[in-house]
Amino acid sequence: MHKFRLSPYLFTAPAVLLFSFTILLPIVMTFFFSFYDWNGFGTMKFIGFDNYVRAFHDHIYLLSYWHILIYIILTIFLEVFAGLFLAGLITVKLKGTSLFRVAFFTPVMLPMLVTSFMWRFVYNSDFGLLNAVLKFLHLDSWTNVWLGNPHTALYALCIVSGWSYAGFYMTIFYAGIQRIPNDIYESAYLDGATERDIFFKIKIPMIKNLVEVALTLCILGGFQGFDLFYVMTNGGPYNATEIVTTYLVKVVFTNGSIGYGSALAVVMTLVVVGVGVVLNMLKRNGNETLEY
Amino acid sequence: MEMSMRKSSNSAAFRLFYYVFMSVFSLVYFYPMIWMLFSSFRGNSEIFNKPFSLPAKVDFHNWSKAWQIGKMSTYVMNSVIVTSLTVVFILLFASLASFAFSKLKFKGSKLMLLMFVFGLFMPMQSFFIAQNYIFDHLHIKNTYWALILPYVGMGLPLAIFLLKAYLDSIPKEMMEAANIDGCGNLRLFWSIIMPLLIPSLATVAIFSSLNSWNELLLALLYVQSDSLKTIPVGLLAFSSKHVTDYKLLFSALTIITIPMILIYIFFHKHIVSGLTEGSLK
Repeated sequence: MHKFRLSPYLFTAPAVLLFSFTILLPIVMTFFFSFYDWNGFGTMKFIGFDNYVRAFHDHIYLLSYWHILIYIILTIFLEVFAGLFLAGLITVKLKGTSLFRVAFFTPVMLPMLVTSFMWRFVYNSDFGLLNAVLKFLHLDSWTNVWLGNPHTALYALCIVSGWSYAGFYMTIFYAGIQRIPNDIYESAYLDGATERDIFFKIKIPMIKNLVEVALTLCILGGFQGFDLFYVMTNGGPYNATEIVTTYLVKVVFTNGSIGYGSALAVVMTLVVVGVGVVLNMLKRNGNETLEY
Repeated sequence: MEMSMRKSSNSAAFRLFYYVFMSVFSLVYFYPMIWMLFSSFRGNSEIFNKPFSLPAKVDFHNWSKAWQIGKMSTYVMNSVIVTSLTVVFILLFASLASFAFSKLKFKGSKLMLLMFVFGLFMPMQSFFIAQNYIFDHLHIKNTYWALILPYVGMGLPLAIFLLKAYLDSIPKEMMEAANIDGCGNLRLFWSIIMPLLIPSLATVAIFSSLNSWNELLLALLYVQSDSLKTIPVGLLAFSSKHVTDYKLLFSALTIITIPMILIYIFFHKHIVSGLTEGSLK
């Protein structure tokens, strides 16, 4: 009997202890560090909220949120809406669509690092595929140093993100569309509906919940991106593609400002959690109006 | 009658348009990967001058050179070790915990579960600064553990929720019957719960292994010694050493990509459902 009461804690202990040590403890410590002026090994000087005040005057830090916002808005179109469009295309009632489904998902399988390198070469100004295509089409004046130009670099990154993830969202939507009962389509076809009508009036409304989930994933994921930005531009040129994480790595690991970096990390965590809570509330409200 | 005639005549033009459009579109979509493959067979000057032609010959010389110079076997081995240990720990710890959360009543279970909910929403940026500091002081930086520990910690919340959701759907009577038979919790877990969990464990294993296989940020920060680098960081190091030797870089990228594509082709149903389920919950 004694053994029976003890065992639940033994079952949860490995997971709870490991999670506390690797994730919870560092979160608490980061919060604590953020009130100090500290480079990691010298003396820690308590400075209250000074790091936070500095963060809100840090031009590059604020700019990196602006870049994340642009990135999120564009990837909503290039990933979620493009995925929706692809899902519509591959669920048309014709043979052979599964081949296209497999094809569009393939980029999801590439490690983000490989994708980033490959596209760095596609955008390369000397031998890159994109400039080669433009020259082939006699559009020489359109050729560009895509990643070296502050006006094009961020958009170039968004396109790569879209190429990489559209197939992922397509697959989520595909699974939802497959669950729509067949007789709904049949009666629609009998009423003379075209594939376009079916896409907008049946498929999209029926998977509205999945679209909401996908938007949440895309928005929250937008804050977490790192590999793509680090490999393709590492924040450059002239901070034109700086995002919070690339900047954090520079502040903490290049400049050694652990205290200030921690404050930047805490602010970002609060932003992500805040956005997550707002999105959840929006979703709940939306569902309530639907059910009544 | 009229309806079906209209439908079929519509389809003929539509079908042609559809197949032509989709074929062209997927070719464009795929082309960067084809270009990468072709470039891996070319010489450096050919890469600059003939971007569209087929490679002069299919020559694996670049590949073997990239494999050797790039120390790829070391990186691949490191990735295999880190990923497999990570997945084993996640599966073991998460299934033990989710069993307790789903089927046993005990004080503090709600609080512990809440902690993992919290973990689901925490971005990596919220902890890596202090984690780096802790690992530095415990001297586990530059070991496999510097990667395995955080990967397991990050993977646990989602794994626990997926497995718990599955266990919740199994009727409690089954456990009670076993308990009356004098089955202890541990035996109940091994002989009844584990076999039932296998499909869900496969799902968890798929997204956990892809996550740790591809992870870059922590691997970049915690491992400096070249002999311990995983594939992503190894490729980065390789690329900064051979900045302009494009044929070798293309070869290295291709070598890393091909096994992923093969795995995908063979297991695409499992992988697709593993990845989508993993992100929807």
